[in-house]
Amino acid sequence: MRDACRRLLGRECRERGPNYSSSDCKNVDPGVTHVVRVFGGPSGLYTGTNRTPYDRPVPFREHIALEALRERDPVALRRVVDQHGRRLYRAARGMGFSPDDAEDLAQEVFATFLQTIERFEGRSEVGTWLFGILYRKAHERRRTHAREEPLDELDEAFEARFNRDGSWREPPIPADRLVAAGETAHALRECLAGLPAQYLEVFQLRQVDDLSAADVSGMLGCSINHIGVMFHRARVRLRACLEAKGWGRSR
Amino acid sequence: MMTCKEVSTLVSMEQLDGAPRVRRMAVWLHLMMCRHCRAFRRQLRRIGEVARLIASEIEREPAAAFENRILGRLGF
Repeated sequence: MRDACRRLLGRECRERGPNYSSSDCKNVDPGVTHVVRVFGGPSGLYTGTNRTPYDRPVPFREHIALEALRERDPVALRRVVDQHGRRLYRAARGMGFSPDDAEDLAQEVFATFLQTIERFEGRSEVGTWLFGILYRKAHERRRTHAREEPLDELDEAFEARFNRDGSWREPPIPADRLVAAGETAHALRECLAGLPAQYLEVFQLRQVDDLSAADVSGMLGCSINHIGVMFHRARVRLRACLEAKGWGRSR
Repeated sequence: MMTCKEVSTLVSMEQLDGAPRVRRMAVWLHLMMCRHCRAFRRQLRRIGEVARLIASEIEREPAAAFENRILGRLGF
């Protein structure tokens, strides 16, 4: 994730995208970390309907449990799996993984957790450590399948909507002429499927789960400004995709 | 006076909460006066509504005995 963020950020800085300044580039690039914020897990994180993003689990006596986990104590391990397994699964589903892949990913997270538990110093909660592994694993998987999409074209498409003086060249369609939400769902599903993974992730967390930019920034290890840029690009891309499918032209 | 392009970008990034008050006011004033930018904002909101609708339809619970399969893979 860190590498992905750096790569993107470097590109953003070179492009001098919206709201980027040299200080952003200086401040963020060296400091990105994998996951720096504790988040208790998405029991509602990815549901969209029951959004309680920070239903932080009550920490059990982790310093004791940690010793037990290091000794591969089955009871302690069961407890961690019970406490975090489904949250990891739901998070993976929200990131667009299929049920099989989400389960496989969750299993892989725990396998990695056990392999790396000696390095876990207990400074953060177990859940934070697990979700950090999840995001890294998810990104590794995506890199395997990911298509590197040029970001420049999107910016050009957005820029093309405006005149030189910054006014709208092609004004958006008024909302009362947009088709109803239910009718848009099918088209949006397709558009979401075509969204680059890093944009989809930010879009899900910000738009569907209603997490703040600061929260998502902490989870993904990107600057707040960079999260804003990715969110903007995800939305612009979705909007362009919907328009290409005729959104706003009916009614 | 902010341009439509600046305002729509800021609206789309949704980071106005942390912006200076002057900038927030400028965006608010622009939105009051500009129906196109308001339409843009409504479009984004509509996309959000539909995305949440889609998310609510996705099955997010794993199959039964999920925890046992994890423990099985770990050799327990």
